[in-house]
Amino acid sequence: MLLIRRLYSSRRGSGGVKFLPEYKLKCGLEIHSQLNTKNKLFSMSTNDPFHAANNPNYHTSYFDVSLPGTQPKLNYEAVLFASKLCLALQCDINLNSQFDRKHYFYGDQPLGYQITQHYKPFAKGGQLIMYRDLDNIDEVMKRIEIVQIQIEQDTGRSLYAGSETGTLIDLNRSNVPLIELVTKPQFNDVKQVCAFIKKYQNLLRHLKISTGDLETGAMRVDVNLSVNGNARVELKNLPNTSSIRNAIICEYQRQVDIIRCGKAEELLSEPQTRGWTGSETVKLRSKETTIDYRYMPDPELPKVTLSSDVLTGVASELPELPDAILTKLLSKPYSMSLKDAKLLTTNSSSHTNLYSTPELQEFYMKTFEEFCKFNGSIIESKLPANWIIHELLGNLNKLRIPLSEASKILDPKTFGEFLNLIYRKSISKASGKLLLFYVLNNFKTSGFTDLQGINFEGLIAEYELNPLNQVDETQLQGICEEILNGVDDGVRRDIISGKKKNAIHFLVGQGMKLSQGRIEAPLLENTFKKILGIKK
Amino acid sequence: MSIRGSLYKLSKIDHLQEKFNIFTSINQNIKNELQPCDKPLANLLVGIKDNIVTKDLPTTCASGILEGYKSPFDATVVTLLKDAGVVVIGKTNMDEFGMGSGGTHSKFGVTYNPMFLDEKVVVGGSSSGSAAAVASDVVDFALGTDTGGSVRIPAAYTSTFGFKPSYGRLSRFGVIAYAQSLDTVGIITKDIEMIKKVFRVLDKYDAKDPTSLTDDLRSKAPSLASKTKNQLKIGIPQEFMLQNISKQVNSVLMTVIDKILEQGHEICPVSIPMIKYSLPIYYTLAPAEAASNLSRYDGIRYGYRDTEKDIYEDTLFVPTRANFGKEVKNRILLGNYNLCSGAFRNNFLKAQKLRNQLINEFDNVFSVPNILTNNKPKDDGVDLLLSLSCMTPPPTVNNFMEQDAKTPVNSYINDSFTIPMSLAGLPCISIPVKNNVGIGVQLTGQFADDECVLDAAQRFT
Repeated sequence: MLLIRRLYSSRRGSGGVKFLPEYKLKCGLEIHSQLNTKNKLFSMSTNDPFHAANNPNYHTSYFDVSLPGTQPKLNYEAVLFASKLCLALQCDINLNSQFDRKHYFYGDQPLGYQITQHYKPFAKGGQLIMYRDLDNIDEVMKRIEIVQIQIEQDTGRSLYAGSETGTLIDLNRSNVPLIELVTKPQFNDVKQVCAFIKKYQNLLRHLKISTGDLETGAMRVDVNLSVNGNARVELKNLPNTSSIRNAIICEYQRQVDIIRCGKAEELLSEPQTRGWTGSETVKLRSKETTIDYRYMPDPELPKVTLSSDVLTGVASELPELPDAILTKLLSKPYSMSLKDAKLLTTNSSSHTNLYSTPELQEFYMKTFEEFCKFNGSIIESKLPANWIIHELLGNLNKLRIPLSEASKILDPKTFGEFLNLIYRKSISKASGKLLLFYVLNNFKTSGFTDLQGINFEGLIAEYELNPLNQVDETQLQGICEEILNGVDDGVRRDIISGKKKNAIHFLVGQGMKLSQGRIEAPLLENTFKKILGIKK
Repeated sequence: MSIRGSLYKLSKIDHLQEKFNIFTSINQNIKNELQPCDKPLANLLVGIKDNIVTKDLPTTCASGILEGYKSPFDATVVTLLKDAGVVVIGKTNMDEFGMGSGGTHSKFGVTYNPMFLDEKVVVGGSSSGSAAAVASDVVDFALGTDTGGSVRIPAAYTSTFGFKPSYGRLSRFGVIAYAQSLDTVGIITKDIEMIKKVFRVLDKYDAKDPTSLTDDLRSKAPSLASKTKNQLKIGIPQEFMLQNISKQVNSVLMTVIDKILEQGHEICPVSIPMIKYSLPIYYTLAPAEAASNLSRYDGIRYGYRDTEKDIYEDTLFVPTRANFGKEVKNRILLGNYNLCSGAFRNNFLKAQKLRNQLINEFDNVFSVPNILTNNKPKDDGVDLLLSLSCMTPPPTVNNFMEQDAKTPVNSYINDSFTIPMSLAGLPCISIPVKNNVGIGVQLTGQFADDECVLDAAQRFT
């Protein structure tokens, strides 16, 4: 089997830290993201290293394992994906970029070099802007400029577990397309860093070019950091957001301590690379052991030539970007809360499979539109949010029904009608909830085959769910008295004395249950108060 | 070729192998593979240079590092030949990974020149076994590879035809890279008709090779029609008229010039000043590419492995890599030196720039345009270039090794006439000259004008 030395390090605890104005933090990020193209970057192998983790070296072609005599063939889907990202980030795309070889020996890198873009990268410039109102940062606005974006190969994976003396190599990941984004060192605190990663991750998912998942290694973040203009320290091996956060805080604290002790000259004048143990940063490499990568233009891969027409075409196909959608949802007529609007624009990791964010967003927008048709401009904007995001999704989760299935019977038009029935009080909210669950549950029971259109008005009539606005006075009184007879005197006294004011809601609930939600709550409450002699 | 004829050739193989050390491995199944059929190259015997992968025979590049390596697939050129009815007789000896011009740097030992029976004479490299196989008549033709002259030099030393097509016309898929911006598959044979037949079979676009010339570009290649004109204009580069070439060798060139003039063609001097920088350009670029290509032989995957010393911390060059031969090690070091961040700009990039200038100068002497550069052709330009293939006849093995041991530069100089064409990717052929064993002349055409080169070669011999 393959043998490579492991690196071990000792551990040390770390405490909390504050970012102090006299110790100025400067941070930059290098983010590698796997593109979810169908095939690998330079071969026709399937690009699916995560799901094939239990089948090591399964998705490998002769080129992926670097057999002598094999040659790379560029997968233009990766170029398309990179173009989408660069256009979304307003980068200047190089119409003649080129691939270079970066040489270093490692067991999981069978070529002995990585094919990357060093001398003429795919794109330069560009930016990602964060806002206090949208991204939870302290500044009103923070612009992070991009140095460059390049396309490159991923390496294989070294597995250290399961073998005492050796390393296992899995080349499923070898030659998977990566995109590397390098930012300028413009972050001043850790909140900005976390917000950027979140926002960039969401953009990748929104453009459908990467899962953006940190936990599967589909996205990997390296941090460059310096304090008060001292030499730059690179932090590597940060597997998730919390380790990125904690490593920055720890390293900042370490450097502040060094500066305070007056040892900056001695300890912080040369760049180094440090790793993260989970509790502290440890030195991996310094200048003396830096590798000279001996970059060389690849002698057989042709230049990546693009015409500006092609890019114009890609740009015109780009979806509306998350910030624009978010801003739209926050303003009229949608007027959503930030929390709800984020739910419609934040693409979750690939694992939730009942609905995708764009799918939900589209359902929301269309339903909203249908709902508005009934009522012109005077509408209650919170109603669709409550019923779609909370009631509908709640039911879908409970019943494990994918949105794509549910919308076969509940298309935006039907759901808009349903919302209108609630809005017009043709059905009470309580009855509405019951009815929605009933309809979905029936559909599921039918194995999603009963595709008959839903006639809510008919159902309301059939099950007599229309609210009893004109309830017979004596009948109402009778119901309420029946309920009151069922509770003990202590409770009655406490309600009347005001000791347990809210207990009246319990009575109202009983009333609604008895009437299957058809009697509106205020009507019941008033009747109870009248009987008990409580003033309004 | 008749099966009987092929069997006769085979009957001599053991004897010739023992005498000249032609093959690194021999196909033991040939007799079964010879079957009557009506394919274009039915039952022709071929020797394949041992840096072109074959799934039935090992592929070692004559290197200890690839000892016993067997490829799971055939190179495209091998597949095309097999499909045309050719039978592979064996893998031919070579200078390790194509690095050398004498055929002496091989894990399998020196290949000797079958044209010289009285003493041990160098056969030329790096396609040493391929030329020896053709010269000794054990095959009908052989495939070699030519990076800086590796097909043309051994062809000249064995008085055979050695054709290096334009870069990109024959697929390199399955050719183990030495320096792939230069590597070209070539054909060696005694019969120019045979070269044409084989070339027609192999001259195809291959989607697996990113440097394969596309069909679109192939269709733009200079048309043969314009070249069937009776009178050709042939240029002789002044930069090749070196002082230190012996009278005997020069007189061979004169013989050919006389013959060409007799046939009514025109001969004129041309100047390509950048030719004089060819050697430094080549020996900057090729070893850099080689260092990069050979880094996959890292001691983990191929051949012998030193399990003890390889895993010491900070081991930069694993002991396993000692399995490379001396010349390969030289070039890996030279290549890495030129790729180091401190030297890259001044060495590698400068060499790349000069290489482009050289191509422009070539374009400026030809009468037809270069389909890759789109440089304007010269109005009264030439159709072909003529020069010697080598500076001397083949030296004895002892003499060659002695010179080579003093400084590798002595053997690097051997490539002076062949390297400029490799840098420009031009089609060229070394042709034998009657009554002058071991000396060849080289015809060179504009890029993609391979037909003109082959046609002229037929006319001038």
